[in-house]
Amino acid sequence: MNLLLQIFSLLFGLVPFNRTEFDSNIIVDYSIVLVMPVFYLFCYYYVNFHEQSIFKLAECNSICNFSGKLLMHLGCFLYLSIYFLTLLRQKKFYIEFGKRLYEIDELSEKCIQLVGNRNKLFVAKTKRLFYVTWIILLATFAFAIFYDVSNIFDYYGPYCFLTNMVFTFPYVAGSIVQGMFASYVSVISERFSTLNVLFEKINHESEKKNSPIAVMDIESDTRKDSNRGPAIISELSKRKTAGLQQKNAKSDDLSNNDSDFAEEDDSADDAYSFGEYDETRSSDGKTSEINLPNLFKLHDKILSLSVLVNAEFGAQCVPYMAACFVITIFGIFLETKVMFIVGGKNELMDYVIYLYVIWSFTTMMVAYFVLRLCCNTNAHSKQSAMIVHEIMQKKPAFMLGNDIYYNKMKAFTLQFLHWEGYFQFNGIGLFALDYTFIFSTVSAATSYLIVLLQFDMTSILKTEGLTPRVLTPDANAQADNS
Amino acid sequence: MAHQTVQPILVHFGTLFTFCKLLGLYPHDLQAFRGIHTLQSSKIGTAIVVVTMLAVVVLYNLLIYFFSSEDHDLKASQSTLTFVIGIFLTYIGLGMMITDQLSALRNQSKTGELYERIRAVDEQLLKENVYVDISKTAKNILLMIVLTVVSELIILISTYITLVDLTDWKSILWLFSCFPTLYNSLDKIWFANTLSALKQRFFVINTALEDMVESHERLKRWTENGGDGGGQIFRRPSIANVSIDPSLEYLYKELTHMEAVKAYNMARNKISPIAHSLNSFGDALETPKKPYKYTSQPPTFNMVYESELNKDIEKVEEKLNNLCQLHDEICEIGKLVNELWSYPILVLMAYGFLIFTAQLYFLYCATQGQAIPSLFRSAKSATITTIFLSYTAGKCIYLIYLSWKTSLESKRTGICLHKCGVVADNNLLYEIVNHLSLKLLNHSVDFSACGFFTLDMETLYGVSGGITSYLIILIQFNLAAQQAKDASNAAETNYNTMLTTEAGNTTALMDYFTTTFMPYAQTDLY
Repeated sequence: MNLLLQIFSLLFGLVPFNRTEFDSNIIVDYSIVLVMPVFYLFCYYYVNFHEQSIFKLAECNSICNFSGKLLMHLGCFLYLSIYFLTLLRQKKFYIEFGKRLYEIDELSEKCIQLVGNRNKLFVAKTKRLFYVTWIILLATFAFAIFYDVSNIFDYYGPYCFLTNMVFTFPYVAGSIVQGMFASYVSVISERFSTLNVLFEKINHESEKKNSPIAVMDIESDTRKDSNRGPAIISELSKRKTAGLQQKNAKSDDLSNNDSDFAEEDDSADDAYSFGEYDETRSSDGKTSEINLPNLFKLHDKILSLSVLVNAEFGAQCVPYMAACFVITIFGIFLETKVMFIVGGKNELMDYVIYLYVIWSFTTMMVAYFVLRLCCNTNAHSKQSAMIVHEIMQKKPAFMLGNDIYYNKMKAFTLQFLHWEGYFQFNGIGLFALDYTFIFSTVSAATSYLIVLLQFDMTSILKTEGLTPRVLTPDANAQADNS
Repeated sequence: MAHQTVQPILVHFGTLFTFCKLLGLYPHDLQAFRGIHTLQSSKIGTAIVVVTMLAVVVLYNLLIYFFSSEDHDLKASQSTLTFVIGIFLTYIGLGMMITDQLSALRNQSKTGELYERIRAVDEQLLKENVYVDISKTAKNILLMIVLTVVSELIILISTYITLVDLTDWKSILWLFSCFPTLYNSLDKIWFANTLSALKQRFFVINTALEDMVESHERLKRWTENGGDGGGQIFRRPSIANVSIDPSLEYLYKELTHMEAVKAYNMARNKISPIAHSLNSFGDALETPKKPYKYTSQPPTFNMVYESELNKDIEKVEEKLNNLCQLHDEICEIGKLVNELWSYPILVLMAYGFLIFTAQLYFLYCATQGQAIPSLFRSAKSATITTIFLSYTAGKCIYLIYLSWKTSLESKRTGICLHKCGVVADNNLLYEIVNHLSLKLLNHSVDFSACGFFTLDMETLYGVSGGITSYLIILIQFNLAAQQAKDASNAAETNYNTMLTTEAGNTTALMDYFTTTFMPYAQTDLY
């Protein structure tokens, strides 16, 4: 599927050829990249200023004219801004990305080998959702392009591609760039989930091995508590101490409530537990916690990779989201104010309005997928910190009496805090790419729509000879009579 | 190394300072600046600034008085809305200039201290073998001045030639319409360059930390290779250590000694003892545990190289402490900068927001053939409006972008610090790093305008939305007023006029849409 995306981006002139090689011929590499915008600008010029353009047709009334022009200029803005940002992204990025990804894979491979039994860890997931998403996306795009082309074909025949180049091409190109962004983000997300599996594995190990020690710990703690006062907090420890307290009652009698003595007893207990812990450790041999520093390093590397990707693609999100926003608002506006009232009377106008609806739908879908992937990746990276905290809370065997692991994990979680303040997927800082963005866009769109829907369109429609059919049944009757 | 002196950053501000001094924006002593590159307050300078301020205020008011004679019919013909907006916005430019000059007067003594502190930071950085390259500052300043002057002149001259009545001698007064924005821009260039200097220092600290990570990684690789037997590789890290060794030790002495000497510096004084006590504490904690810790290390580790690494780490730890203190100091300087310029920035942002909305609104009015306030006559031409708006927007957005970037750069230090910890993988270092990282987490520098809003890109996003919605509302009011007027006119004249207004309504729709979505295109491009 990624291959398909790559082929399209190559064809649309959004990626140079041989992007992972430094010393290849620049002219060959950038040929399509340079030809496409020239061709686009030619079409743009042709449609704008030539006799045969769509706006010169007799059927094209003022609404159709206005909405078509808006769609075209918006597309031009979108395409040109995205194109220049693409030009800025040189081959260095692809090479750098490949290199870093390779490093990460190498390191994670090492970690997996240390853990052993790879098959048990990574159960092949069913990728049904993945395929369904792709099919839906492809079907939508195929439908949108087919609709565009077939309708214009009726007017212009084979010359339709000139008009389509102006109407359809920018949005498809923008979507493809977003698709590239999404694919890079999904690669990053995959690495994060691998990392989480490895963390999870350590977590499980500590759970299995240290249950006896955990009990010992609670016992000694609760004994302290019961001696010093009623500071028992959890239900579990209450239940556990129910039996113990009877014993303690006897021992307390013996030791004359001497708390110092009880504490000595505790320390002896601790020493005992250490001895036991050492035994289990030596018998078990290698465990996966020696992976931890590597895993932390891996997490850091993946995050810096996502910073790189975001720096390259975040800027391109901004015009795309803006275009999506404008199209959607005007799509709703035209649909409610024009289509409901005078739909079906002027085919060309209907076509342009449908274009709005179709492209708002497709761009919104692509934007949603990008947002979702970014959100998922964020969640994955956060989950690692959560798992590490869980491990810290369980106090597994390898942490007892050894500060270094505790400090390590603390350092990791602190670093994650720093990362959270520093980085999130965003469009050059203007907005964070997560679900909050949807909320803010929807609220903004609502307020604009309220303002837009107050426009009284009936007089404009009347001057165009389109009598509203629902609102004025009398006028229709009069027209029939005459 | 210690012989090298640090150039104060003010050396590169020469052109800007002379320019500001000539225009009477800054009150500082010119001789002192020329001689020893410091900003000292001077009484003559203060007098000059006050006189300039008064002169400009008087001339600007004359200009308003002269041109307002044209506005008399505006009050009659147009809605009161346009009139009130015009009056209000006429004075905001002047207010902005006065704020700049007053805050320059108020901050006279503090500005010198600010640059002195930056120089001290530079010196410290040099002792850490970190060189700050400030040679580009002069070029940046010159570029900004040229851009400012060019756009001011373009706006002024083109407006003067095309839109002002040249025959009247009083039209010369139009010259003063550009003074407030020019003064403001010069002041903001000063701010922007100070800010970018801070950003550069953060960046330098981050790079230093990252370099340490890299060198450690290399060292580790050597250690691993050392088991196989690589004699010559061993030499290189040791050389590196020797070269760092004396300077670091010197620095440490300097630092402990300095606490007594340079007592005036509050921030540095506060932190040093903490870091110092931590060192001894960490050592005390470390020694009893050492044997146990070594057994827990992976067995592939080579003993000879381990001691090498350990020794290195103790130095690294000192260096980390120092770098964190420097980071802290830069944060403090950032807060000071923010405080010094807080009112000018707030007024600038308000000005940007209002002027952007108003200029677009008047552009819309002008395209509809309505009269607009005389001081906003540049709105009659779309090209001049575009230049003016991109000039204003560029000023505001660049400042916001720069403070956002500086804030991000300061946040990145924590990440780089942790990288050091992870790479070294040493218990003592972890403790140090955790402690320092908590400190960094609390010590982030956020730039805000008087605390009303933070200067970051999200504010920009909000502001662009605000401009759009206010513009739509204004235009709707205008449309409603026009329709009411047309209706009253139509009652008098015959039915035919109705058709023309309807046709006009369609074009109004077009204009409405194009003008409405212009801020989108412009703000998104930046």
